[in-house]
Amino acid sequence: MASVTESPSSVRKVIVQLKATADAPILKQNKFKIPGTDKFAKVIDFLRRQLHRETVFVYINSAFSPNPDELVIDLFNNFGVDGKLLVNYACSMAWG
Amino acid sequence: MDVSSWDGTLSLNEFSLAAQAFEEKWKISNSASPPWLWVNAPIRPFVASQKVDGFLSMENICLLRPSEDNGAEVSRLEEEKTSLSEKEEAIDDATLVHSNHHEVHYYDFHIVYSASYRVPVLYFRGYDSDGLPLQLNEIEKDLPACSAKVLLESKWTFITQEEHPYFNRPWYKLHPCGTSEWMKLLFLDEAVLAESKVAIELHLVSWFSVVGQVIGLRVPIEMVNGRIN
Repeated sequence: MASVTESPSSVRKVIVQLKATADAPILKQNKFKIPGTDKFAKVIDFLRRQLHRETVFVYINSAFSPNPDELVIDLFNNFGVDGKLLVNYACSMAWG
Repeated sequence: MDVSSWDGTLSLNEFSLAAQAFEEKWKISNSASPPWLWVNAPIRPFVASQKVDGFLSMENICLLRPSEDNGAEVSRLEEEKTSLSEKEEAIDDATLVHSNHHEVHYYDFHIVYSASYRVPVLYFRGYDSDGLPLQLNEIEKDLPACSAKVLLESKWTFITQEEHPYFNRPWYKLHPCGTSEWMKLLFLDEAVLAESKVAIELHLVSWFSVVGQVIGLRVPIEMVNGRIN
């Protein structure tokens, strides 16, 4: 269960922790803060840039791949663990 | 189902159970959206086993052009919106039939079980307002912008055309060959879901959270969070 200590209406930052799975490379910086009002698309784009890949397979606990339009704060409130939103990523290998 | 040794596939019977759960959860959590409906497969003569066989169907969906963010919006047959951020389609001087600027496209989606891959498969077809089938390049323009790249570059999601398993018409489908791989990944950390019934009930929710993004349909968080914690 996520521990939400601040009121929902305050703009808070969410701690996102990235975890490499399958054959994905491990990032040096795998933890960062992002405004809760940002969309999940920002996390996906960050991963794409860091991994230099156009396609990254991104998913969280509960066996779910969030839609890029979801707000990070909503994901944290529903799926956050120990004050963090854990995001798993794998590389869906490109052709060729 | 022992998740750690799971191969990412499911049986036809499990698919039927998963479909039922998916249909119910979708109705509860996504009531603004058209429902998925279970359709029993047409009975085929000379087929020995008459197991419960069918697919999930969502038809006559009007996919509006995606806005600059991701994702298309889904609605039933509604009046088309007048302001769209996409560029206008080039006017064909030779055949100016309608003066309307934007063409509305309609889609049928079926979630069908693949006996050979043992995974769900999304079949779809699109047509214009005259009922003419859309070609793949026209369909791709209706998909979210990031999908186009994903479709071309990922070996896990690509589109092929083939005859629908129950109807003698060509449909498009998201090829299932990568599905078991990414389904395994999705459930990797989910030791808590290892209890069989819960995993089956969530199977299509998890599956569709990935597949739906390709076509611009969204799984609301509530569908996932309905599970017992």
